[in-house]
Amino acid sequence: MEPHRRTANNGSAPNLNLAGVADAVSRLNGHRAAAMDPESFHEAAQRILTTVNTVIDGKSDAAKLALTVLLAQGHLLLEDVPGVGKTLLAKTLARTIDCTVNRIQFTPDLLPSDVTGVSIYNQASRLFEFRPGAVFANIVIGDEINRASAKTQSALLECMEEHQVTVDGNTYKLDEPFMVVATQNPIEMEGTYPLPEAQRDRFMARISMGYPDKEAEIEMLETHQAVSPLAAVSPVVTASDVAAMTTTVQQVFVSEAVKEYTVSLGRATRESPLLRLGASPRSMLQLLRAAKATAALDGRDFVLPDDVAGVAEAVLAHRIIVERKAAGAGENPHSVLQGILSRLPVPQAPPGQATRPAAAAGGRNR
Amino acid sequence: MTMAPARPSGIGNEARNQPEPPARRPQAGAYPWAMALAISVAVCGAALSLNGVLRGWNWFWPVLTTVLTVSVALAALRSVRAQPLLVTAGGFISLAAVLTLTFFRGSSFLWVIPTGATLPDLDRLMRRASETVLSETAPVAPNAGIVMVVCAVLGLAVILVDALAVPLRMPAASGVGLLALLVVPAMIKPQSVGVWSFAATAAGYLLILACSQRFAPDGQLQSGAPRSPGLARRAALTGAAAMVATLLLPLAIPGFDQGTFPQGSRLNPWGGATGLNPMITLGSSLRAPDGSGRITYATNSPTPLYLRSVTVDNFDGDSWGPDDRTASRVPLDGRIDPGYAVLADEQVRLVTAVDTGSFTSPYLPVPYAPETIRGLGGEWTWDPATLSIKGTDTTTRRQEYVVTSTEPKLSAALLAQASGPVRGIPDDFSRIPGNVPDIVKATAKTVAGTAGTPYQKAMALQRYLRSSEFTYSLQSPVQGGYDGNGLSVLADFLQQKSGYCIHYASAMAVMARLEGIPSRIAVGYAPGRLTGATIAVAGQGALPEYEADARDAHAWPELYFQGLGWVPFEPTPSRGVVPDYATDAPVPAVPDTLGNNDGLVPDAAPAPSATPSGTALPVPGGTGGGEGGSAGVLPWLLGTAGVLGALLLAAAPHLVRSGTRTRRLNPRSPGQSVPLAWNELTDLGIDYGVRAAPSETPRAYSARFRQTLLGEPGGLDHEAHQAVAFLTSAFEHHRYGRPDNSSPATSLRGHPAGQDIQAGVAAVVDSLRQNATLPRRLRAEWLPPSVIRRLGLLLGLPFRAAGSGIRKAARAAAHSRKSRAAATSGAPVAGRREAAADDGVRGRGRG
Repeated sequence: MEPHRRTANNGSAPNLNLAGVADAVSRLNGHRAAAMDPESFHEAAQRILTTVNTVIDGKSDAAKLALTVLLAQGHLLLEDVPGVGKTLLAKTLARTIDCTVNRIQFTPDLLPSDVTGVSIYNQASRLFEFRPGAVFANIVIGDEINRASAKTQSALLECMEEHQVTVDGNTYKLDEPFMVVATQNPIEMEGTYPLPEAQRDRFMARISMGYPDKEAEIEMLETHQAVSPLAAVSPVVTASDVAAMTTTVQQVFVSEAVKEYTVSLGRATRESPLLRLGASPRSMLQLLRAAKATAALDGRDFVLPDDVAGVAEAVLAHRIIVERKAAGAGENPHSVLQGILSRLPVPQAPPGQATRPAAAAGGRNR
Repeated sequence: MTMAPARPSGIGNEARNQPEPPARRPQAGAYPWAMALAISVAVCGAALSLNGVLRGWNWFWPVLTTVLTVSVALAALRSVRAQPLLVTAGGFISLAAVLTLTFFRGSSFLWVIPTGATLPDLDRLMRRASETVLSETAPVAPNAGIVMVVCAVLGLAVILVDALAVPLRMPAASGVGLLALLVVPAMIKPQSVGVWSFAATAAGYLLILACSQRFAPDGQLQSGAPRSPGLARRAALTGAAAMVATLLLPLAIPGFDQGTFPQGSRLNPWGGATGLNPMITLGSSLRAPDGSGRITYATNSPTPLYLRSVTVDNFDGDSWGPDDRTASRVPLDGRIDPGYAVLADEQVRLVTAVDTGSFTSPYLPVPYAPETIRGLGGEWTWDPATLSIKGTDTTTRRQEYVVTSTEPKLSAALLAQASGPVRGIPDDFSRIPGNVPDIVKATAKTVAGTAGTPYQKAMALQRYLRSSEFTYSLQSPVQGGYDGNGLSVLADFLQQKSGYCIHYASAMAVMARLEGIPSRIAVGYAPGRLTGATIAVAGQGALPEYEADARDAHAWPELYFQGLGWVPFEPTPSRGVVPDYATDAPVPAVPDTLGNNDGLVPDAAPAPSATPSGTALPVPGGTGGGEGGSAGVLPWLLGTAGVLGALLLAAAPHLVRSGTRTRRLNPRSPGQSVPLAWNELTDLGIDYGVRAAPSETPRAYSARFRQTLLGEPGGLDHEAHQAVAFLTSAFEHHRYGRPDNSSPATSLRGHPAGQDIQAGVAAVVDSLRQNATLPRRLRAEWLPPSVIRRLGLLLGLPFRAAGSGIRKAARAAAHSRKSRAAATSGAPVAGRREAAADDGVRGRGRG
């Protein structure tokens, strides 16, 4: 791991001028980027995924989920043992997009101002001038986020939720798209500050990379010996492309049935006797957004219950807490979620839906 | 802004190119009418074969009306696209209506609607039909009863054939219904179905197949099939196998000695010709291949013994039958009095022990004239006029009895003297029937007109009939179409000069009456053959035993001579034995065709060693009883109707299932095609054992469906896989996509053309059939779990309603109890409620 605390991977300057901030504000205030047409959306997504897969062998699911989170405007928590490519995935994803990327290596002595930025006195203009922190970038890679102190973590988490930074009473909007990819090491937790539940809730999804399979590992040894694969990666889409893609994702249609399915999934986690803490309403929102992004990546303009179920584990598993007794019986969040999903009825024909006339006519048939 | 499919399927692309047909109404048009025509032709053709079962052609018009009405009703209902079950129900209603119009107009409302008064009429007609069947043999006179039954059966056949051909999509199997119709004449008529009728039925059947092929090629036959290379070879093989089976089967079936296989009269496994009415079933008894209805008897008679069951004396009407004279019958207890004095010098007293075995008839075969009968079980009556003995509540089955009878010792001289006017017998025996054909009159005048005495006349008639002009034949009346009895038959017989005993006997009897001699026809058994055994009869010692069976069934005339009583004659060549008094002239040698005159006369010393010891005949015979055997038309008709009904019932789940499928694949509005097709897909899954779990999404279900039920995606089932995938995506789009269908992408994928869906489902069904095991396939086809489950839900509805009602009532009772308790002590309950609320909060917080 690189020892320095803060680094700009990209050649582009990390400093954002105020015009860029204003641009972001204006974009948020209604001037959204025009949605991308389906063909180019699919093409762009494929380009990103192909590039990521050339760098990380055998982890196309993780790559796709990372892209899903990016397009759903969420933040990603990569949690796994060291050396399976968490940071590599984050960096590759960032490199495929022609945008500003900052990387923060979290350490116990990292200060909040290092993340958000600081106002310094400009001798020439005799004014305090805001120097943006590392968080002012389209993609922020937070390495080993659990090593930082709680207040530093909190500073980052505020930015993640609000997409803005408040320093000395001044609020600065962050650029769009904005995504934090944080990595966390689940072992060697001595002297670290694991993210509390409330802060884990801010991450849309948590991914465990897992070990690659045999073939992928052999191939990795073969190809990645001499040269870092990252060096060959060049951006395949621009930031505005990504913004357009997120707009497309936002316009994906969600039917009543799917909303109902999502809500009943959330309620099921809250009512499950195996869980101490169920999924929050915010997690429902993020679940649906992730599902929309999945649907768009799959080439659809509407969400299926399959999309919801497909991302439910990644989105919900890090937010729910298993009851101690159940945990003692060998349950973990993933197994509980799988159990709930396998029992949750898929709404077939709710009233007041467009299918109603068909259901009336087909009622005799069923 | 919408997203088009990233990977549009091939089917979707095709759908895009085809313009949506506006408000498609599939299968309407000429199809129902053409099919109705084809079915009418087939059923009417099959009905033609009933010509020998029913006499004449008058019955054909009601049959034609019935068949056409039912067909047209079915076609009309189908052309307005009624549900298949509704169409079938309409067929039944139209059948009832046309039967009412034809047969019960008097008691109906508005001519076609049956009323309460129709039921007695129906009962009357049914009774008449059953009487016809019991008392007549084919061809029967087409009276209203039998015609109604025939019309009803044919109407049912139309409904069955239609159900098989159209909603069940098994036009080939509709031949079963037609075959059921053809079986009746094939079994009853000796000459079987007949060429023309068979040709017409086959033509109708081919028309049905052609219609199905032309209008609904998505049935079992594929349009490309005729070009497949192995077809001709397969057809030739099938034909050859059928030919071989036709040639070989008769060899394997016992008693099948004549004709080719489909000729059914040789193949009557039920063989019920041991006849209720010996007179009527006589022809078929004689033609029976095996000796059923065997009876044995032992007698001390020196001459061959005729056993007489019944007499026929009323020669009016189309068809003759025995007159029971139920009013004047006398219970059989004690002596039977012939009612006339016999002036013969010498009377022979005969003792005969009869064992009827399996012969079943209400009439008791006894030698003439019986005096006493011992050992009978059950109640019997005798008719003073004819001395026929009939059971009131019993039949001859398994009776053993001993008859004493007296027989005047007659001679030609005695008979020649008996020329006095006839007195003391009812006029019935001398009444000349009204419509005697001219040929009979002319023949009687030519043959016997010149003779002086009644005896000479009788002898002239017998001589004439036994002359070489006449030949004995069991087949020629059948081929000539005058099998049976009656005056018209008699005329035919006198022209053709070929027939069997019934014809000879009736000819002699009728012509004797024309010449003024009272006459009647006796029906019974000609003398049988010696078995070689002896029977010990009380008071007589060992008597030789004879046997007679259905082939010995016989009819002969009896003429009345004043002072001598009824005297039997034997005009039938080669049958029976001409009595001494009637053999004044040399009998022309007639070839002994059947050769059952052998051993008619017992040897002087019957072989006593044949049986070790003659057992004494038990006088109190076994209990009489048993049901009367009934052979004839009605059982066949009822059987056919039953078979048709059972077929319909057995096919009902299949009918419902395929009807549902057809309706789903031809929705009223194109917008519903996708969800209905999806319902069809899930039902197919249920039928083949993959039921959608409630937590399964359409996509997951479709994946499981394809993996479990279909074969390899790349192989033969590629089309089915594509169809399932396409249907799934269309259904997902319909179910979860944008409700507005304005945008092109949505309308494209949301409403694929109906043909695509139909073709897709057909491919899936084919693939399912090919990949399923045989039991599962049969179950899915004929007892589809989806239908059975729905039926179970339907049947369970009242129970579930009752259960929920009981639960509701229990809750209400509990609630009222609680509120009563609250009224008496409010504070504790309120406290409990608060505690409950606290629990709830805590629970929620933890959950």
